[in-house]
Amino acid sequence: MSVRPGPSDAHPIEAHGLAKAYRGRPAVDGVDLLVRPGEIYGFLGPNGAGKTTTMRMLLGLVRPDAGTIRLFGRDPHRDELGARAGVAGIIEEPRLYSYLSGRRNLKLLSSYDRIGSGPEVIEEALDLVELTERAGDRVSEYSQGMRQRLGIASCLVRRPRLMLLDEPANGLDPAGIRFLRGLLRDLAERGMTVFLSSHLLAEVQELCERVAIIASGRIVYEGSLEELRARAGRRYRLSVSDPRRALSLCAAVPGITDVALAGEQVELAVSGDDALLAVTRALVEARLVMHALVPEQLTLERVFFELTEHSPAPAAVAA
Amino acid sequence: MIGRIYVAYRGELFKLLAQKRTWLGFAAATIGPIVYLALELAQGPPKGPLANNIGHTGVGFALVVVKLIAVFGPAVIAALVAGDIVASEHEAGTLKTVLTRSLSRNDLLLGKLLALFTYLAMALAAFFVVSTIAGVIAWGFHPLVNISGERISALHALALDVPAVMIYTLPVIAIASFGFFLSVVTGQSVPAVGGTLIYAMSLQGVAVISAIKGAHPYLLTNQLTAWHDLFQTPTGGDLIVRAVWVSAAFALPPIIAALVIFNRRDIAV
Repeated sequence: MSVRPGPSDAHPIEAHGLAKAYRGRPAVDGVDLLVRPGEIYGFLGPNGAGKTTTMRMLLGLVRPDAGTIRLFGRDPHRDELGARAGVAGIIEEPRLYSYLSGRRNLKLLSSYDRIGSGPEVIEEALDLVELTERAGDRVSEYSQGMRQRLGIASCLVRRPRLMLLDEPANGLDPAGIRFLRGLLRDLAERGMTVFLSSHLLAEVQELCERVAIIASGRIVYEGSLEELRARAGRRYRLSVSDPRRALSLCAAVPGITDVALAGEQVELAVSGDDALLAVTRALVEARLVMHALVPEQLTLERVFFELTEHSPAPAAVAA
Repeated sequence: MIGRIYVAYRGELFKLLAQKRTWLGFAAATIGPIVYLALELAQGPPKGPLANNIGHTGVGFALVVVKLIAVFGPAVIAALVAGDIVASEHEAGTLKTVLTRSLSRNDLLLGKLLALFTYLAMALAAFFVVSTIAGVIAWGFHPLVNISGERISALHALALDVPAVMIYTLPVIAIASFGFFLSVVTGQSVPAVGGTLIYAMSLQGVAVISAIKGAHPYLLTNQLTAWHDLFQTPTGGDLIVRAVWVSAAFALPPIIAALVIFNRRDIAV
């Protein structure tokens, strides 16, 4: 699947001060985004944080109350067709014509694109999302995962340079998620920029180098995942023969930033490898038997907790 | 822009033809006159313009049926399609899918509007063809006595039938335009379809208020009989001209309002 060539060296997405309120209640409040060409950019936030509203504004479906948007240098609200050229997106789940077959959906939607996507482009897209065999069936007979894949195929027939996907893994089984990751990596390697929203950090951390995190309509972090991990700290779970004694030993080790008892385990946050080594040494010297020292998966909840300085979880707003 | 509207129009026809209800509408438009014909044969001729030809010639039978179904028959078909054409996409969420492609909101809406008008014209054409064939089978292809009592050849009468049905289509399109407006504004099929039917019935109701008799020639329902002009001797033209502008006057405001509203609306579903 080729990516439509584009002369523009402008950023695929550049947004400043985006704001949108529904009935006086802010859904998005001062969002800035800068997405570079060819990257898979993660847009993270809990449900209701403002991700979908932001994406709707980026695609020109919703008018911002304030702020500017540029897609490859063009404003989707002033030059809607110019800005959307080479841009494809799925907001929430793909909505397709249930009374048409998958292939006829693609034929119809590609006819709206007016870029001369012939049958071969449609077949290539179907093949890429592994739907060729079921392409003649009505969409009403598709599973949610198949609809997601057809939605992605409907984007691909536009031969976009930028694709915006809103929670694309929703409804996919593990095999579908693995397939999606492989596909997005492949597309990025071909030069496509992907803007990927999710409420699960695990979903984007295997694909993205840079992310933005939105909470209560505001960007609370924008930068590399590496830096995010460093900011969030490294956390471990320790299983040991005497957890209470281990707790007091760990608390005395320099570089341990947080330590607590969680059932029969000790949870600890460390500043670096030296601190971890010091913990191990202290436990051995105290003749405690270590059963396991397991790094904790970095979760979005944890990241939020760190970034918002232990403030309560963001309130739900209209997405 | 014309090219993009054509693309949207073609897409809308593609979708309309793929839906069962489109064919149900065509079926209603074609079965209706046959049912009526059966009733006629059983009960004897009705009253009204050209009705005295029933039993003598099948030419003009379509126009006899048109008079009898009044505003309700076409209003039902217009409401079902017009009320649904935008609202159903809004409800199904496919509007956002289409609006992220290379069509502007105006392109899409105008394409839908043209598809709607095409559908109505096709449904009325199907009605006309089936009625005429059924009438000719029942009573033959003989000369027709027009509204003024003059005899005109069967071929001439048939040739007049075509513009007569086209003129009849104009107020029907105006009713559909209001349904289209409701479809955009409400974003929901049921109130849009129901609202269009209520609108059509209200127009019919207003037409019988004697206190506004002076305004009757300018009511939309009155334009449904403008085709009489073609079957009078001498053939006038005033009724037809009035039907054109009155229908346009009823159709354009809701269409313009729909375009303005649709362009300002957030697609947040």
